[in-house]
Amino acid sequence: MSLEGFEVAVVGAGPAGSAAALTLAREGVQVLLVERGAFPGSKNVFGGRIYSYALKRLLGERWKNAPIERFVRKEGITFMTADSSFSIEYESKDPTGSFTSVRAKFDKWLAEQAEKAGASLITDSRVDDLVLDRGTVKGIIAGQDKIPTEAVIACDGTTTSLARKAGLSTMMKPEEVSMGMKDVIELPVEKIEERFGLEPEEGAAHVFVGECSGGLRGGGFLYTNKDSLALGMVVGADDASLKAVPSHTLMDRLRKNRKVRRLIRDGKTIEYDAHMIPEAGPKMLTRPYTGGMIIAGDAAGHLLNNGYTFRGVDMAIVSGIAAAQTILEARKRKDYSAQSLKAYERKLREEPALKDMYTFSKVPRYLRNNRLYNVYPELVCNAAEAVYRVDGSGKRKIYKELRAQTKGKVSTISLVRDLLAGARTF
Amino acid sequence: MSENQEEMTLDKRLALVSFNKDPEPFIVVDTKLCQQCEKKPCLYICPAQVYTWQDQLNYNTEGCMETGACLIVCHKIGAKAISWKYPSGGKGVSFKLG
Repeated sequence: MSLEGFEVAVVGAGPAGSAAALTLAREGVQVLLVERGAFPGSKNVFGGRIYSYALKRLLGERWKNAPIERFVRKEGITFMTADSSFSIEYESKDPTGSFTSVRAKFDKWLAEQAEKAGASLITDSRVDDLVLDRGTVKGIIAGQDKIPTEAVIACDGTTTSLARKAGLSTMMKPEEVSMGMKDVIELPVEKIEERFGLEPEEGAAHVFVGECSGGLRGGGFLYTNKDSLALGMVVGADDASLKAVPSHTLMDRLRKNRKVRRLIRDGKTIEYDAHMIPEAGPKMLTRPYTGGMIIAGDAAGHLLNNGYTFRGVDMAIVSGIAAAQTILEARKRKDYSAQSLKAYERKLREEPALKDMYTFSKVPRYLRNNRLYNVYPELVCNAAEAVYRVDGSGKRKIYKELRAQTKGKVSTISLVRDLLAGARTF
Repeated sequence: MSENQEEMTLDKRLALVSFNKDPEPFIVVDTKLCQQCEKKPCLYICPAQVYTWQDQLNYNTEGCMETGACLIVCHKIGAKAISWKYPSGGKGVSFKLG
């Protein structure tokens, strides 16, 4: 393939990159989509769920052709100790709002949609540098190839070297990133549906807080695919490093927990994945654009963990679309200067889906409170034990029992402060 | 354990992942610096245990899952000994599911 004549290079064929390339190609822009993996998705890992609205926005009714594993009917959270657990489960009336998927299939499919719209995909190609002309980005350098373009959209993921090369970011801090790991565990379709109480095609998403993270800032997750479970842990990079807990050992801890053990029983592990998650949000870059270049997806911190929903792919798609639209407008003006691309930032703040990042901007700080992981889950379990246990020793009223459980575990002031801050944060 | 439970280890996990070895070294560690490193955060953050310690820092990039976290913790908590970039195009880890 000749690498001449492309107006825009999109770096990274993940959800942000493919959404951007598709949006541009549809408008007749000559766009090159560059992927370092052997195929789109081969380097990508996530928990397991995609919110449908973003895909619908990108593809209309064709979103349903995506490689969907199961639509998520059940949402759950479990607070756990080693031998007790307290779970809440919500069954949604409409499961089509989100679905589980695997990235090697999903990202590949989405890149194919971009190709169908006219984008040119090259794989096995690592972009090493930018072509810079007096501070303005004028193309990319991949191995021996210098590829001149009018503009670049960098969707090169958490470790984004392109934003760094353009001077838009410095190295992230350990407290701004988490390590995500997961086992994919094969289990027959009928077993999954029986075990999780699901109808065919329907799935469950579950979060685990407490014993599984060994007191560290983090938690577990489980998503049901068609015939496998995605079971994983996320842990704060600073916490694991400073407390000298090898991150992967948390996977074993999770799997051995009594509640989880039963959920994965008879399963066969077929893959292990890991990925770094940026947690700082959009402030991980000084700005998400520069002359000739826009940053989208994980590379721009466009993802959100607000403690109960974990969003990456939907936000990546929406930010990829916003990046492409900004480029389309700049193209009309024939002006790709930083001033011209500044419109991207406004789009991010006005786009309701992405605005959520700013609405929940205080969450990361709140989630740094380690009581959430090493005090409250146990407290909830112990309180439930006391409330439900009848052993003839005499019962207290629930309120009194709850008060008794907090004694020696957390001061009333801390408890009230955490509750109030929580109410303001979420 | 009475239940039919699969015992997992990191070695078993890594055996499930495909790696296409990059002949070029994409991680290089100045291991002399590691001797002075107090916290050795790379030993703990890496989900694939690329880094191990036996009198000195040893590293085996073949199991590298390319998270990039070692670089961050090394430079912010450790001895700034690691230089890291992605393996060349098409090389390195390849997930079948992800």
